[in-house]
Parts: sequence; structure tokens; C-alpha cells
Amino acid sequence: MTTEGAPRFFGARVPRRQDDRLLRGDGRYVADINPAGVLAAKFVRSHEAHATVASLDIEAAAAAESVKAVFVGEDFAGTEMRCVSSYLGFQESAQPILAVDRVRHVGEALAMVVADNEYLAEDASELVVAHLDPLPTVVDIDTALDAGCAPLHPGWQHNAFVRRQIETYGFGDTCSAAPHRVSIELHNGRHSGIPMENRACVAEHDPGTGRFRLHTTTQIPHLVRAGLSWALGVPESLIQVIAPDVGGGFGVKAQLYPEEVACCLAARRLGRPVKWVEDRREHFVAAHHSREHRHTVTGYFDDDGTILALEADIAVDMGAYSVFPWTATMDGGMAMGILPGPYRIREYSVASTSVCTNKTPYGAYRGVARPAACFSIERLLDQIARHLGVDRVEIRNRNLLSEGDYPWRSPSGLVYDSGSLLESLDAVLELGDHEGLLKRQADARAAGRLVGVGLAVFTEQTAHTTQEFKQRGVPIVFGYETAKVRLDASGTAVVSASIHDHGQGLETTLAQVAADRLGLDLEQIRVEYGDTEQVAYGAGTFASRSAVLAGGAVTKAADAVADTLRLVAAHILEAAPEDMVVESGRVSVAGSPNQFLNTSELCRLIYQRPERLPEGVEPCLEASRTYDAHPGTGAYTNAAHLASVEIDPLTGKSRVLSYAVVEDCGPMINPTIVEGQIFGGVAQGIGTALFEEFLYDQAGQPLSTTFADYLVPVMSDIPDFRVAHLQTPSPHTIGGLKGMGEGGAIAPGAVIASAVEDALSHLGTVTVNRLPLTPERVLGYIDAANGSGASS
Amino acid sequence: MAEISLTVNGERTAAQVDPRTLLSDFLRDGLGLTGTHVGCEHGYCGACTVLVDGASARSCLMLAIQADARSVETVESLSANGAGLHPIQLAFKDCHGLQCGFCTPGLLMSVVELAATNPACSRDEIREHLSGHLCRCTGYHHIVDAVERALDSATGRADDN
Repeated sequence: MTTEGAPRFFGARVPRRQDDRLLRGDGRYVADINPAGVLAAKFVRSHEAHATVASLDIEAAAAAESVKAVFVGEDFAGTEMRCVSSYLGFQESAQPILAVDRVRHVGEALAMVVADNEYLAEDASELVVAHLDPLPTVVDIDTALDAGCAPLHPGWQHNAFVRRQIETYGFGDTCSAAPHRVSIELHNGRHSGIPMENRACVAEHDPGTGRFRLHTTTQIPHLVRAGLSWALGVPESLIQVIAPDVGGGFGVKAQLYPEEVACCLAARRLGRPVKWVEDRREHFVAAHHSREHRHTVTGYFDDDGTILALEADIAVDMGAYSVFPWTATMDGGMAMGILPGPYRIREYSVASTSVCTNKTPYGAYRGVARPAACFSIERLLDQIARHLGVDRVEIRNRNLLSEGDYPWRSPSGLVYDSGSLLESLDAVLELGDHEGLLKRQADARAAGRLVGVGLAVFTEQTAHTTQEFKQRGVPIVFGYETAKVRLDASGTAVVSASIHDHGQGLETTLAQVAADRLGLDLEQIRVEYGDTEQVAYGAGTFASRSAVLAGGAVTKAADAVADTLRLVAAHILEAAPEDMVVESGRVSVAGSPNQFLNTSELCRLIYQRPERLPEGVEPCLEASRTYDAHPGTGAYTNAAHLASVEIDPLTGKSRVLSYAVVEDCGPMINPTIVEGQIFGGVAQGIGTALFEEFLYDQAGQPLSTTFADYLVPVMSDIPDFRVAHLQTPSPHTIGGLKGMGEGGAIAPGAVIASAVEDALSHLGTVTVNRLPLTPERVLGYIDAANGSGASS
Repeated sequence: MAEISLTVNGERTAAQVDPRTLLSDFLRDGLGLTGTHVGCEHGYCGACTVLVDGASARSCLMLAIQADARSVETVESLSANGAGLHPIQLAFKDCHGLQCGFCTPGLLMSVVELAATNPACSRDEIREHLSGHLCRCTGYHHIVDAVERALDSATGRADDN
């Protein structure tokens, strides 16, 4: 039964449903939740990067005002966090809830103080004295991998969580025959998502039933429940995880953290709810980091710039532990897969090493390895263009995949389903006024100013599921999302989903999808998410998957409910079910619009007058469905970015003058929300390019622990954006949808590096290969360009 | 403990507070006004911004006792008791000027101040004025759209959108 009306809401720029409550200050975030009798927890954290724990003096803290308990490692011994990859040779790490005998990064929790309120808990935490005996610290990739470096975990042979390698059959011969090669080494600074809301959780335990309830700032409530179940040894049926309003995630809230386990354990021990609200300084050292990649890439190409083969060596500084649910292989694996990018590259050899160091553990941040991969391949393209004296646009046009190439099996085995790469590059040159930018650059140079133009093109794997994640070696394969749709007797609907909305607007876009399928108004749909009691299972919101997977699951579930409406209406109206149209609050007979039932009346009949139902139809307007975007290899969004940058030659400070994006994520449910996601991603990418870095000294002491040291782009750092859309549907997904949540953040590092290099190109030859481009680094590039003696 | 007496969102309030209690904690925990959010507790992010005697202030950098005998306005003052959205809130909704909503309440209070003190400012001036508010979701573009619209309606400038 597929008869349906035309979409009213899919594709419409409707305002967001959640905005009223958020604008009024009526949002309900974890820090706002205070169950009766709640206690406050404060963690005492290691001030050493690597040390044995000689002793902890906790007596004074335990005796302090209102303190209910001071927990140390031994109290939670036997509970630890492991996330084990199935890759051959993977070395496991065991992350304690509270350190027992050894600490491996500054910020690792040593003790947990629980008192009546946060002020008193913090007072008492300052009375805990940790006697730590320092060990040699490992704070960089080369030291970690040196044969003489002692392994950081017991039983390890070396400091790599895992090393992997792939090579295509024809790689060696192709390289030997290639007339040209160019190599470049690229460095990406360690940084992360930095949501405006810090982490927080509130754990409750009911001794009567044995049930746990955890409110927590997470993007992945079902996966947190799975991880807690493993860590606590408690079945999932006894654990409820609720993520209410969450103040931004960006990946940093997509994992299980030791603090969540600690609060559950403390709540069970103390018989009272235990709440922890992270402060910003903790966030900088204890919430996971991301993005620290070092790549060496070599391109082999012919005389006209056609790339024949690509070689890459990838190392990622994963910090001290492998985190749940990603494992320490995530970034290295993703970078291996996506590095060939949007180009027609057939031969590929790549090695990837996930390195263990004495730094904060490493997890996801918007784009997961794709920003580093885009930086590498796009910087390589620019170097090839320079080597041959070919324009940067032209070198891309010669190598980008075109319509006839799809589906394209990349040399790493990814299957690109569709795209519009050449078209998006063309379009962004127009949208961003490439010609005008070049003219203004020439004028600026004549006036002695440093202005450059940069661009990048990329393809973004989105909504990948079973096929992709089973290859990633992760313990849980994130293969689908779930949605439940229920129509009530009033004719209004509740849509529940396993994803989470922490800014992406899914509360609105899923309502748009459901309203069309059920023929209702938006106001008649309520969307709920974030509570593991709502739907059976799922993964959550990450990897640009939620609109595609939850949108697909909502479509399937709503259609199943609509089918029941059709069956009953057809019975009552004495028509054929396949002729029934569900639209505009009515179920009517196709071609006879006067023959109809109001949906609300029909819903009331189904629940309250079961004698009117046809035989075999149950009085139930509820359906739960999963969607996996089969075959699970991903829907490929693509985009092209173009920007101009001016550098202050005295200070080295770079300013982004203009930024344009042409993105193709297939059909859009709500273009305004898509644009908001792009803008937000690009601004974060400008942070990646120019500002953000967790710096460490040689002792492993973090140097970026406030917003004065770790710079996030502010409003005056960011230009107005221009954006335009192409819409190439995915052949794989319901509605042709492709994901796009991460895309904005992928390219800016490459674009701005290209622009900075371009701004200096008339001074001499310099290769911009390190992010972020802080003023100090840019001054170094200016000096190098001036000293190179070779103007290009 | 110290006794303080102040006006919060137009209502006279008296309370006993520990002298070290931050204004942000007093508003959130003492008065249940959880619309004021705490993002950094060191005065950089702007999420906790409130108006004190009409001027924007970081409530995480102020003690509750410093608000004694003064008037404090929080986001809850903008559309109290089920009233329709304030024009600034409406502009944020219409222009998609928020995503996760965490930085939004503090930002709105600074826009209230801007509308009262410098409503005729340009987009660049808006960016400069509000650069003390970190937002990680929006990339700011739609926020600037929203503020421009809100200021236009405050000054009666023609809305050419």
C-alpha cells in the first residue's frame, strides 16, 4: 500500500519545534536536574602525566563538612573500561574508573569526593593529597614508537595500539613507471569539539528493584547503557539512560566516560543520587581529545597531473587509553579509508599506526579523521599543481571523479554511491566569486598586502552502517537506528527515535518526515528521543547518520501505521485499501475526495470502537522499525569550499575575508537546518585551521586549560558565509537522503592552508603543512618564503 | 551566611546566602532560574550573562552578595508567564539563530543590552559587540542575521528580508 499525498513538509524551511523552550530558558539540561536527596561529586585528578600512585591521603577530606564518602581506586577495583578491537595485533588497555596504582595522563581521576553540595565537595577534594612518583613521560609519536621506549601498559610489546597496512596489487609497478612524484609531511594539532555545555551526569539507584537511572550529557544513550551494563555487570533491563537537552556534542559526548560509571557506583554505595557537573578546566584535560594526526603522503603522477598512485603513512596520537565504543583504531582506520578522497586514484599503499602516549584519551570530533585526510590530499593536490605549473582548479578537474565513475570503488575499498564533484567545484567558483577574489588579490599585492585564495573539494562518507563498521573492528557494529510511531485516540502522533538531538534540529526534521507520511500537521506530531526506555535499541547521533537512518526508520514506522489507517478506513468506506489516500488530516478514497474519514475520528474508532474493525486488524496504531541504509557502505555527500584570507605581515595573524560552500547532500528535509549545520561546521573548521590546539610541555603538562589558552573562534573571527546546494540523491537510501552534519568541518583546514600558502606565493616557495596556523607559525612561513629565494 | 535583598526579574527577593556563592549558582540553585547556563566559570564563554541594573554581567564572575540591593534580569524575564516570545527571541527563532540552545540565554541578554544602547549597528559591529559570547553550533552567521532583524524591529528600520 503506497498511495500517499504530495509532501507538505519535506523540503520546507519550517522553524524549529524546540526553539520556544530553549529561547525561554525552559530547556532541561543535565545540570538542571536535581532529584530529592542528590549529592554532589568532585573528582581529584592526577597532576602528573605518568606516575605510580604511592599513596593518597584522604582522611582530612573524609572528615570535612558534609562529606559522605571519599572513593579511591580500590573501592571500584574490578570495574574497569576496556574497548577492544578485533584487529590482529591490537593491544588492549584497561582504563580504571579511579586510578589504582598508576596514572597515565594529567587529569586522570584518582579519587571521588561526595558531599552535600558542589562547594563543599570541592573544598574537601582540595584536602586530598596524592603522593605520585613520576615515571618517564611519552608525549609525542616518535618517542612513543622508539624501540627503547618502555611500553605504557602491562604486557605490551611497543606503544602502538595497532598498526595496519593495505596496498593495492599494482601499486609498486605503477610507482616505478610514474614520471613524477611529490611528498609532503602534514601535522594536525590536537584539539576537540568543545561544546558550550560541559559534561554532567546524575546517577540514581533504587535498592528495591536494583535499577539504575542515569541522566547524562550524551549523544549515544543506548551505547552508554550497553557500556554501563558491561562495566557494572548489570543487565541492560536494569539500566535506564536519559540524555535530556544536551548543549552540543560534536563527538566529545559520544562515548562512555569513567565519571559516568563512578557516579553509578557511588549512588549504589551511598543509596542516594549522585550528581557530577564538570568544570571547564576538567573538560580540557579529562574529556576526550581528538584530531592529532601526522601524515606523510606521496603522490605519483604523469605529465598532465593525472594521479597514478598514492602512498601514505598515518600516525595518530591516541593518548593513554582505548575508549568505548570506538576503540583506539577509529581515526587511523578512517583516515586510511578516506584519504584518496574524491579523486580517481586506483593504486594506493597506506600504513596506519595508533599511538599510545601520556595524554588525555582520544575520541571522536566532527568529521573523525576526514579533516586530516582532506588536509593531506588537498595539500598534495596543491603541491602537484605547483610542481607542474598547473592551476589548482585545473589539477582538480583532471582528477575528480565524474558522473560516469559511480559507483566508484576506492582503492581502500569504500564504495562511493553518487556525487557531483566537478559541478560543485564549478558552482563554488561562481558563488564565491573566484575571478573577483583573484582581482582583489592582485590589487592587494600591488598595495603590499598579503591576500590568498584557497579551495578544497571533498567527499563525505555518511550514514555508513553494517558493512563499514564490521570492517572497523569495533565491538558493537552501529548498523541501524530505530524509530517508533504511535498514533493516539486523538489523532496526534508520538515519534520516538534512538538518535539524539543536541542542536541538529532532528526534533523538527523527523516531525516533518512523519507529518507527511501520516498526513498530519506538524503541531500534531511530538518527537521524543534520548531515553533508552523509548525504543528498543540503537546507536545514537554521530557520523552524519541521524537524518538518513532515523528519517528512514520514521518513514517505515509511519507507513506501517498509515497502512492500518488505510485498512480500517477502506473497510468502513467500503473501498479498496490500495485506493486510500492519507493526507491533510483525512483518509479518503482516491478520485472520490468526498468519501473520507477524518484521521482523528478514525483513530478514535480504532481504539475505542473495536467492533468497527475488519477481521484480523488489531486495535493498535503503533509500529517500531529499524533502518540500516542497506548496503551500509554509506551515502556520499560532497562539497567544494572557496575562501580568501588576509595575513597581517607584522603579527602573522590570518583573517578569513570570505567563505563560500557548495554542498550536495541529496534532497534536504529542511534547507535552513542544513545551512545552519554547514555554517557551524565551517566555523569549527576555521578554529581547526587558525586557533585550536591542546599544547603539552615535555613533562606531559597540558598548557591549554582555559579559554584564554585554548582559543575558540568568536563572532568577529568569522565572516558571513555564502552557501548553495546541489541535490544528487543517494541510490541507496530512503528518499535519497545523505548525511551532512560533519561536512562543514572537514575542509576549512585544507582551504585556509591553501589560501595562506597562496598569500605568500609571490614572496617565495613555502609549503604550509601544519595546523593550526597560529600567528607564530605564519610568521615562520613568511620568513621561510622570504628566505627561499625562489619565487613561484 | 549573609542576608541579601534584590530584585530578580521584577520581583523583590530576600535570601540568606553563603558569601562565596556565585550569582550564577544563586540564580540557578537558589531561585530555580536554570535558564542561566554556566559554560566555563572563568568569564570567557558568556553563557551565564545576565543584566545587573540593565548592564550585562557574567554571573559566574559575580558573587550573589554583590547583587544586594540591585536589579537582576535573566532570560526568564523576556517572555514571562506564558507570554509570547519577546521580539528578540522571535528573531532568533525565525533566523535559526540557535542550535543546542546552551549559549542562547546569555546571548539574548547581551542583545537586549545592545538594542537599548546601540540599535543602529552594522553586521560587523554586531560581531564585534557580541564577540564575548562563544557559540559552538551556529558558526554565528544565523545569530548575526537574528540580531540584525531584532535591531531592525527595535528601531523600526524597514525589514527587507
